[in-house]
Amino acid sequence: MPVVTVTQLNKYLGSVFRGDRNLQGIMIKGEISNFICHYKSGHMYFTIKDSESALKAVMFAQAASRLKFVPEDGMSIVAAGNIVVYERDGVYQINVTDIIPEGKGKETAALEQLKRKLAKEGIFDTAHKRPLPDMPKKIGVVTSLSGAAVRDIINVLSRRWPLGEVYAVNAVVQGQSAPDSICAGILSAESAGCDVVIVGRGGGSSEDLSAFNSEKVAYAVYNCKVPVISAVGHETDVSITDLAADMRAPTPSAAAELAASVSVDILSDRIRIAEKRLKSAVSSVVSEKEEKTALAGSRLSARSPENLLRLTEERLENLRKRYGFAFASYLGRMESKVNEKIRSLDNLSPLKVLSRGYSLVYKGEELISDSDKLENGDIVSIRLGEGGVTAKIKDKW
Amino acid sequence: MEEKFSFEENMAELNKIVAELEKGDIPLEKAVELYGRGVELSAVCKKQLSEAKIKITEVDGNLPSEK
Repeated sequence: MPVVTVTQLNKYLGSVFRGDRNLQGIMIKGEISNFICHYKSGHMYFTIKDSESALKAVMFAQAASRLKFVPEDGMSIVAAGNIVVYERDGVYQINVTDIIPEGKGKETAALEQLKRKLAKEGIFDTAHKRPLPDMPKKIGVVTSLSGAAVRDIINVLSRRWPLGEVYAVNAVVQGQSAPDSICAGILSAESAGCDVVIVGRGGGSSEDLSAFNSEKVAYAVYNCKVPVISAVGHETDVSITDLAADMRAPTPSAAAELAASVSVDILSDRIRIAEKRLKSAVSSVVSEKEEKTALAGSRLSARSPENLLRLTEERLENLRKRYGFAFASYLGRMESKVNEKIRSLDNLSPLKVLSRGYSLVYKGEELISDSDKLENGDIVSIRLGEGGVTAKIKDKW
Repeated sequence: MEEKFSFEENMAELNKIVAELEKGDIPLEKAVELYGRGVELSAVCKKQLSEAKIKITEVDGNLPSEK
């Protein structure tokens, strides 16, 4: 026989426990005792016992923080977890991952399972949630017509949305036949042409929710072609129908308010606003036309014959003025040119030459510049600088 | 004419008219005509709203009721 240490034995037992599928992922039913919540770590230590036996249990802080209630001594529970060996002390215990209060424990566990399954199948996906119609024509109500819920719904709808129509389908909401009855009701409302469907309990707190937690109803809600509002209304539990519905209401009256999101008051406001906009739009069209007319009038008068004539006259006057100026300055220029010419003419004048002592000799009208033109005895006129003389030619050379 | 139509249809028509008028750039005759129709429609809508009474149909589901 080989000799083993205590540590070796406990380690071995630990591995045996871990390998045994009967000890992993199990549910243990019993009552809590010696409950201690370690204030620092948040780990919970307790014992689960029944009339004959006890089992040590530990629930670590991470799992414990997910609990929706605080466990206490004497509480009947179903604990989910794994059986492990605590090697230091050589004891086995359950490592608790979840605690379900007993009583409805089994049911609750099954419900949780169904929720997980449906969630996985996408029944609760927010992407599938449809918006409610703004002004529903026909509102389906699937519930027990003998209950208070349908009255509440009709009261709210006739106040808020009298333009609508209520199509109320009587359904069995509890008992064996309830799920099928609710499903049939949803189909009936859908085929009657409802554009939104309210599914709810008949009213009265004694009714149980099981029908609204059934897979059938969840699928009927999910597959309904028009949006579904759930009015299952329970303070603590959220039913599967609530999760599958497009909208969840806490009470039937609240469901009706959701269905009639646009009330008569809002519609009256809308009409008033439309009237206001109508008035201001038409008056702005009219004033726009007025402005255009005024503009066209002023453009037209700018083109009237009188105006054109006036413009032409103005232009003409302008031209006349410019012409006058131009002519005057032309005259001035001409004058100064003439004066200049006169001055240069003066310089060339023979009188100027004569004044320096030269003389001009004429024979008759002819100016003589060559002695060959003259004969002895010819009479000539001699023009001097000042005055002149008449002379007779005596000789030439 | 409007009484033949539902409140929703009349309301939609009214909103269409408002939008068309607000766009502007329409002949004056057309604007006046639209305005007249709009006023008429809003009166009809108000009337329909004040006279509306909810219609209720109650049916038994496919399965027999417990009560």
